[in-house]
Amino acid sequence: MRSVPDETATWLAIGLVAAVTLACRLAGPVVMSRIGPSPRIERFLQSLSISVIAALVASIVAQGGPREGAAVGVAALVMLATKSTVLALLAGMATAASWTILLSG
Amino acid sequence: MVKRNLKHDHVEASRPVLTLEGTVRGVRRLAPLSLFVLPFGVAYGVAAVEAGLTPLQAVAMSALAFSGAAQFGVLDFWPGPIAFGSLIFVALAVSARLVVMGAALSPWVNRLSPPRRLAALFLLSDANFADTEPALRSGERDVGILLGGGLIFWVTWVMGTAVGAAGGAIIGDPAMFGIDVVMVCFFGAVVVGMVAGEPNWRATIPPVLAAIVVSVALVSVLPLGWNVIAGALVGGVVGAFRAG
Repeated sequence: MRSVPDETATWLAIGLVAAVTLACRLAGPVVMSRIGPSPRIERFLQSLSISVIAALVASIVAQGGPREGAAVGVAALVMLATKSTVLALLAGMATAASWTILLSG
Repeated sequence: MVKRNLKHDHVEASRPVLTLEGTVRGVRRLAPLSLFVLPFGVAYGVAAVEAGLTPLQAVAMSALAFSGAAQFGVLDFWPGPIAFGSLIFVALAVSARLVVMGAALSPWVNRLSPPRRLAALFLLSDANFADTEPALRSGERDVGILLGGGLIFWVTWVMGTAVGAAGGAIIGDPAMFGIDVVMVCFFGAVVVGMVAGEPNWRATIPPVLAAIVVSVALVSVLPLGWNVIAGALVGGVVGAFRAG
């Protein structure tokens, strides 16, 4: 049952999601341009950049489970040993794939 | 006098730029990784059409919003009537980490001209941030790699969505090939690379641990997305107030 108002509401929603994501993309540097640079702010930003990715990984693993945890753990170890992102990704994928195949087959 | 000139040269040399050459380099840097986004784009296209968007709307959503997390997150609001207030809140929750990433890039981005600033940030996402931030920190000057990385991800994301929305079936289960863990493994590898690449690497451990503990502790307490922001901010504060 698709009516004209439904279509309009969907387009409005698409516009809103796009506007929110664009605003978030632009907001960080705008906010920081109002805060003067200082060694402490610099350390804050440096720690922030590594923390946001670490928090993202931890959150995904926490929502996923041991399979995701094992894949990330293996990828991290391979990265540490080889300094190669490609090898780390391949090792992580192989771990997750073997986990799926072994536990579902 | 000579000393002053040298200092001046140094400042000029380290001034960030955004060039076409850098953008092309960004495309190349992330092209291999972006291929793994295709199945997720397809999955989004299928899910969006199932939820009640038209194929054109599904593709428009991917092209305009360009955020897998936000787009999947708001699909629950279809079919309508759409609760616009809640929709904005969900989109904001999963996109707020882009504010944090933008802030982390501000030392470079804010030294560009306003039009270039806009170009650099327009396609900011998890993947090109994770690729660009460590590169800039280790001496890269061209913020174009951020734009280029975003462009190639945008292309594969929109293409995947179009295939899925047009009725393309999902070929096999991405989990079977481990494709579903590629991005999280990439982010994990980036964290390791950032810690290992830091001369004073011990100083990076407390913020990282704080970020992990806080984001995991709050994962079921806060609405999805805010736990990542909370973890990142606590990690940032721990780093800012460390001794030295």
